[in-house]
Amino acid sequence: MKLNTDMTVNRITDEIWEIPVSEKTGMLVPARIYATREILQAMDSGVFDQVTNVACLPGISRYALCMPDGHWGYGFPIGGVAAFDVQDGIISPGGVGYDINCGMRLIRTDLTLADVQPHLEQLMTELFRKVPAGVGASGFVRLSREEFRRVMTDGARWCVERGYGWHRDLVRMEEGGCIEGTDPSIVTDHAIQRGMNQLGTLGSGNHYLEVQVVSNDGIFDPVTAAAFGITGHEQIVVMVHCGSRGFGHQVASDYLKVFEKSMRRYGITVKDQQLACAPFRSPEGQEYFSAMNCAANTAFANRQVITHQIREAFATVFGRSAEALGMELVYDVAHNIAKVERYPEGDLVVHRKGATRAFGPGSPELPEAFRQTGQPVICGGSMETGSYLLVGTDQAVHDTFGSTMHGAGRTMSRAQAKRTVHGAQLQQQMKQRGILVKAVSMSGLAEEAGVAYKNISEVVESVDRAGITKKVAELRPIGNIKG
Amino acid sequence: MAWTFRFLEEIALADIGFEAEGGSIEEVFRGATQALLESMATPSTVAETWERTIEQSDVDPSALLFDWLSEVVYWKDAAGVVFREAPLTLTHVHDVWLLRARLIGAPVDQQTQELHADVKGVTKHLYQLKQIGDRWKARVVLDV
Repeated sequence: MKLNTDMTVNRITDEIWEIPVSEKTGMLVPARIYATREILQAMDSGVFDQVTNVACLPGISRYALCMPDGHWGYGFPIGGVAAFDVQDGIISPGGVGYDINCGMRLIRTDLTLADVQPHLEQLMTELFRKVPAGVGASGFVRLSREEFRRVMTDGARWCVERGYGWHRDLVRMEEGGCIEGTDPSIVTDHAIQRGMNQLGTLGSGNHYLEVQVVSNDGIFDPVTAAAFGITGHEQIVVMVHCGSRGFGHQVASDYLKVFEKSMRRYGITVKDQQLACAPFRSPEGQEYFSAMNCAANTAFANRQVITHQIREAFATVFGRSAEALGMELVYDVAHNIAKVERYPEGDLVVHRKGATRAFGPGSPELPEAFRQTGQPVICGGSMETGSYLLVGTDQAVHDTFGSTMHGAGRTMSRAQAKRTVHGAQLQQQMKQRGILVKAVSMSGLAEEAGVAYKNISEVVESVDRAGITKKVAELRPIGNIKG
Repeated sequence: MAWTFRFLEEIALADIGFEAEGGSIEEVFRGATQALLESMATPSTVAETWERTIEQSDVDPSALLFDWLSEVVYWKDAAGVVFREAPLTLTHVHDVWLLRARLIGAPVDQQTQELHADVKGVTKHLYQLKQIGDRWKARVVLDV
């Protein structure tokens, strides 16, 4: 088998591949990659190098993992999962990602394609107007510093208290949209200044807002789909992908600097500067954890304000309230975060970077609504090919620290995509295929063309066959907003 | 113009990588700055209605370049602006490199400006500032 690495990669199953500790000096545990043979063969060399670098970090438990949507990242690969002992292990911003609590949110509706199609242009224009996107965009919520600190501590709760959403939204978010253990006093002024005006904005890059359709033949598990509010019959749903914007990035940058200095004091060496870390129990580690939680909460709040704007846009276009349109939240999941979770080994700091929590049925952390089914897992594909709703499993909790994939994963660089694809032409071609795209930047649109991504269906098939999540429904795009 | 830059295709799959080159350390700072500005918006489409004067210093020119580029990204978010130009000078006195720059631009305007990526920050991934012969080279990966 030809791979983009010289390392030995052993087959465990058809969807699990292992790099033994003998392959790199300093590896404390093996590295495991979840992928079909075809996906593994296409993975870039960075994945193999980076996942084995992660396997060298102090206190790592069981395996360094990479999901099938994995590709080269900063420090950790995108799609990376690693868990560290809370007593002897570390915490690393490189294992969380710069966009702290970048995540996915799915909103259902009672509308069908037949209801929406005649108004699609108006709907996308209204959404584009109400949800600012692109470079330097600021949101409609004006905050004082004091109020922004409340956002850091209260997350989506802050939004609901101010009328940006419904109380019942909160139970349909990871951690109820508000992570405890924040300390806004340690967040730098630079981070606050960058984040204050960005609440309710999408950003650019691979962030988007997408109107999608669920057909009957796109439902794989009707019982679970129904429990999630997904009924098929050309049902309209809305997906949001964004995170903590400049605020989260500044928090990550600030603590990478802190950790670069403190690592020497703690006698930690890393294979890559972007893996800078600190012992979880150290003052620096705890400070980063608190600051990261502040950023995670602003990301929940960001997606909540965007949800409010989406509901308003739909209400304006369809002349009925969002409640009357059945615009309930399906779920909101983080895919860039570190959290303390309990496993047979004890309490572990689970880092998920471009990976989604995927708890199975009965998990006490899940709200009542998902105790029977397991947790909804929302995976975004490229804007041309569609996305998936999956459900978490007990096997994920057992095998992958309750984690699974998060999206399609790139295969082509942005520069290459821009050379290959013309933004305005792509927009026109997608319109002809029934997908209306509104974009701030045509070059940004070209960078996100479907050709730049893996086939999400193959990626989803990998995790489904591996049993760490199961397919529930396929979501087909009809409208997309990009920065 | 004694500096150049080119965007890199072979690194930074999901982000933006560039390599800047100059005949002096000051010139490579200019090239890297221009690459960053052009990553966010086409400078010629941006007016000159906003300006900040920035001074930064460091004994390590590599750290100074990193901090300077990060500062540009900071002002993009903090002031909601994109940039037309950033004239700068770099002096080396008593082992300290001193950067004096003017950031010139305008508030983001999607109607009149050709906007590109919302750069979130400068990363240390493959980051490098080095002298090769009589040329200086910088390699930078931006997170977008």
